[in-house]
Amino acid sequence: MKKIRDLANSLHTNALFFVSPILLLLAWAWVCSAGIFPEQILVSPAGVYQTAHELWGSGELQSHLHDSLYRLVLGFAIGVLLGMVFGVLMGLFKPIDAFFAPSFNALRQVPTIAFIPMLVMIFGVEETFKIVVVAKAAFFPITMATYDAVKGIPRSYFEVSKVYQLSHFSLVRHVILPATVPPILTGLRLALGRSWMVLVAAELIAADSGIGQMMEMGRQMFRIDIVLVGVLVTGLIGFLLDRSLRSVETHLGRWQQS
Amino acid sequence: MNIINQFLLNVKHFSGLLLPITVAVVWEFMSRQGDAYTYIFVPLSQIYSGFVELIQSGELLINLVATLQTTVIGLVIGGFAGLFVGGLMAVSPLANKLIGPLYHTLRQVPLLGLIPLIALWFGNDLFSKILIVSLAAFYPIVLNTFEGMRGVEHKYVEVASVLKFNRLQLLIHVLLPAATPSIMTGLMHALAFAWVSTVGSELLFSTGPGVGGLMLMAQESSRMDIVIVAVVSIGLTGLLMNASLSHLRQYLLRWRSVR
Repeated sequence: MKKIRDLANSLHTNALFFVSPILLLLAWAWVCSAGIFPEQILVSPAGVYQTAHELWGSGELQSHLHDSLYRLVLGFAIGVLLGMVFGVLMGLFKPIDAFFAPSFNALRQVPTIAFIPMLVMIFGVEETFKIVVVAKAAFFPITMATYDAVKGIPRSYFEVSKVYQLSHFSLVRHVILPATVPPILTGLRLALGRSWMVLVAAELIAADSGIGQMMEMGRQMFRIDIVLVGVLVTGLIGFLLDRSLRSVETHLGRWQQS
Repeated sequence: MNIINQFLLNVKHFSGLLLPITVAVVWEFMSRQGDAYTYIFVPLSQIYSGFVELIQSGELLINLVATLQTTVIGLVIGGFAGLFVGGLMAVSPLANKLIGPLYHTLRQVPLLGLIPLIALWFGNDLFSKILIVSLAAFYPIVLNTFEGMRGVEHKYVEVASVLKFNRLQLLIHVLLPAATPSIMTGLMHALAFAWVSTVGSELLFSTGPGVGGLMLMAQESSRMDIVIVAVVSIGLTGLLMNASLSHLRQYLLRWRSVR
């Protein structure tokens, strides 16, 4: 009996979960079929699906996606690598910290987007500029997260490992990694979201391919259906990136609850 | 011996300045390597004269004020809307179940990715910019209002029900004060997002006054000095706003016992 009630309850909550998105979709479809706005202003959901289908069928969508994701992965990897190295060095060695901290904190105040005109002047509008932008967007939050994580290891952990005469390997494996990975992962998630947004913005400003460029082209040709497909795809990708890192986070942090 | 120690101590104290000074020296050195270099490595004196030029013509001030205005208007609109929606979601479970999923779905779209859509719907003028900035401020405030009110200690709610508070009274006298710390945190996030998206939307809409527009124009006419002045003023203004908001936060939260 209880099981049935639980099932009904979960069905109830899950059903409620979809109510508002479905209502929005229905309202959208209704407004379109009622012809309140002209077709150029608001395309019906079916129309958007149709366009997405066409873009996918012609391979256009995949190639834009491929270009955007390639830039994201490459730039993000560079930013993460540099950020982690930098964060560890600043966290472990006081002189390095004192040397870089003021400049680092000053640069951190400027939003990545504000650097775009400068980077365009330096690197041109080609691939390099987009990868640098993504790397810059990722670098700062990851350095911060790594720095805080390293600084946050309690001194007593090191003392205990000294008492137990842990080898360097197991110090890293059993003390430093478990203590720093969760906060760094949170930093990674933040950084990935920001990198994605900055990349889309950079592609809107200057690009010859990528999801952002597809939307910008749609805007210039007054193809609202293409723009809407772009909005949906960027949202979906942002969601998937966030969700996948979140599941890694819970997987690696599962010992914390128990 | 003493002097050496003193010197080392001083070096330690000012080592944070070494990097900027080195960069400035290398920069100035590079700028004297020929015309091809001055395109990027603008001489420091030229950056300064660009700065003076922008101040004297009033361009910097006009554009900064315009940008600030967009940010503040967006922050106010998005802030109050967020307070309302977040509060509604916290007070009414039905509203939470209805609005929550929609909120979390729509939030996934990177804000600046919405710009082409908003440009097609609402045009390129100030309204579109304010819409983007309001949305940027709206999201974090909703989340923090909701979580702050949800995290209220249960005994306060019980006292309120003993006193037979209705929902509005509960909201004003119990939930809102209890959620203030969380809402202020949300406001700090909202300010940062609003500032970023104001600059971003100015770069993308490229109409009307604003520091973003100033930078774009400078970029098109290859005036690196103006771009640098603009970037620095964006950073400084953001820092200043952040600092004043965190003072306000401390003032508003002065009743809280410091942990």
